[in-house]
Amino acid sequence: MYKAVIIGGSAGSFQVITRILHSLSPNFPLPILLCLHRLKHVRSGFVEALSIKSGIPIIEPFDKDQIKPGRAYLAPANYHMYIELGNKIALSTEDPVNHSRPSIDLSFVTAAQVYREKLIGIILSGANRDGAYGLKKIKDLGGLAIVQDPEECQVKTMTEASLKMTKVDFVYNTNDIIKFLQNIKS
Amino acid sequence: MQVTDQDLQYFVTTLKNVSKYDFSEYSDKSLKRRLQKILEDSNFDLTTLITTLRVDKNFVERIVKEITVNTTELFRDPPVWHLLRSRILPRFKNNKTINIWHAGCSTGQEVYSMMILLNEMEMLDKAKLFATDLNVDVLDAAKQGIYKYRFNLSYLDNFDKVIKQNPLNFEEYIDVPYEKYFDIDKVKDTITMKKFLTEKPIFRKHDLVTDGNIFFAKFDLILCRNVIIYFNYSLQNKVFELFHSNLYPKGLLLLGMHETILGPWANKFERLGQSYVKK
Repeated sequence: MYKAVIIGGSAGSFQVITRILHSLSPNFPLPILLCLHRLKHVRSGFVEALSIKSGIPIIEPFDKDQIKPGRAYLAPANYHMYIELGNKIALSTEDPVNHSRPSIDLSFVTAAQVYREKLIGIILSGANRDGAYGLKKIKDLGGLAIVQDPEECQVKTMTEASLKMTKVDFVYNTNDIIKFLQNIKS
Repeated sequence: MQVTDQDLQYFVTTLKNVSKYDFSEYSDKSLKRRLQKILEDSNFDLTTLITTLRVDKNFVERIVKEITVNTTELFRDPPVWHLLRSRILPRFKNNKTINIWHAGCSTGQEVYSMMILLNEMEMLDKAKLFATDLNVDVLDAAKQGIYKYRFNLSYLDNFDKVIKQNPLNFEEYIDVPYEKYFDIDKVKDTITMKKFLTEKPIFRKHDLVTDGNIFFAKFDLILCRNVIIYFNYSLQNKVFELFHSNLYPKGLLLLGMHETILGPWANKFERLGQSYVKK
């Protein structure tokens, strides 16, 4: 069965993420990896804001932290977040990719290489194309690709770019994404 | 072309054979990405790259520079500088000298930030700053102390947050003009550090993997921020050992915001905020 869920989003995704995290029970069987763009200068307070309503703990990981189920790992501001073999987080301050650090493509590609067909990738509302290539990699390596319905997105660039590049498995609105995640059994 | 584990192994082994550089204990993920980027940028295939590494010493140096990551900014992560100002540096207020090592200083912004803060705290005169990096190009840039104005514009906010705010009362604003420390030329797009700052630190080429402590000194404070994220667990431990044995008792080690000491060296330090105090 699946081993991890990875979610990418930027402009307009904050409320969607909040709703998704709120809907999860503390014994959600998988880790959730979150790569969200945020304003360069909003470096603190983001985890706190997301945590208020979240059903599972949200962690801004340290380099080489072990990834555990039932927790959400949020890429820290101004770092790229990679997933390493052995279920570990690796951080990097390399140059921005797609003008973004963290870059969704980098998180998605490295997660795809580790979890392969056991990974679920979800792209949400966002204002640039970062993430589209990463979702394609997930699909290419046998994982499941989900895109938020562009009709529901505040900003459609990211989801439309993803749909253009990849034949995804599902186009879901937020409620469907939540239902899908709630049905995942360990 | 996607770089495989074997490719990476081949590259690292070759580099180790033809030079003193040893990347075998670097973190795989980042190193693979850097190698990938080098291949894409140079339009070389791996075989050509390896062949060239074997015959061209200058090419080796160039590739090593491209492998290292050189992200830095003035007063990166203001909360860390607030910690330095309010809790770390005051510990050395009565010292005759303060030895500070910036390990992995890149283009030097952190070193200049430190000197500016020390000067505001009236401690610069007794400070000795040692700054090292593997990459001699970034060291040259660090010695020059000239930065792009527009690129660094947003980091001047960090200066305001750290230097212009009273650390004891954030409501209070202290007017410290930029010109006290650097000249801004908007036409030339430069920020140029003042001479009293550029001539102060000792900049040296240094490899954390092989070189140990190259200064005849021990340190009160070592800053090594966002460097060990590129090392594996085993190399990290060697570096912690190096730092621990070259800190004075009660000396402090400051790592990056999302770096931490895992494993055996953790209990040889006490935490002070996000810094580590040698027991």
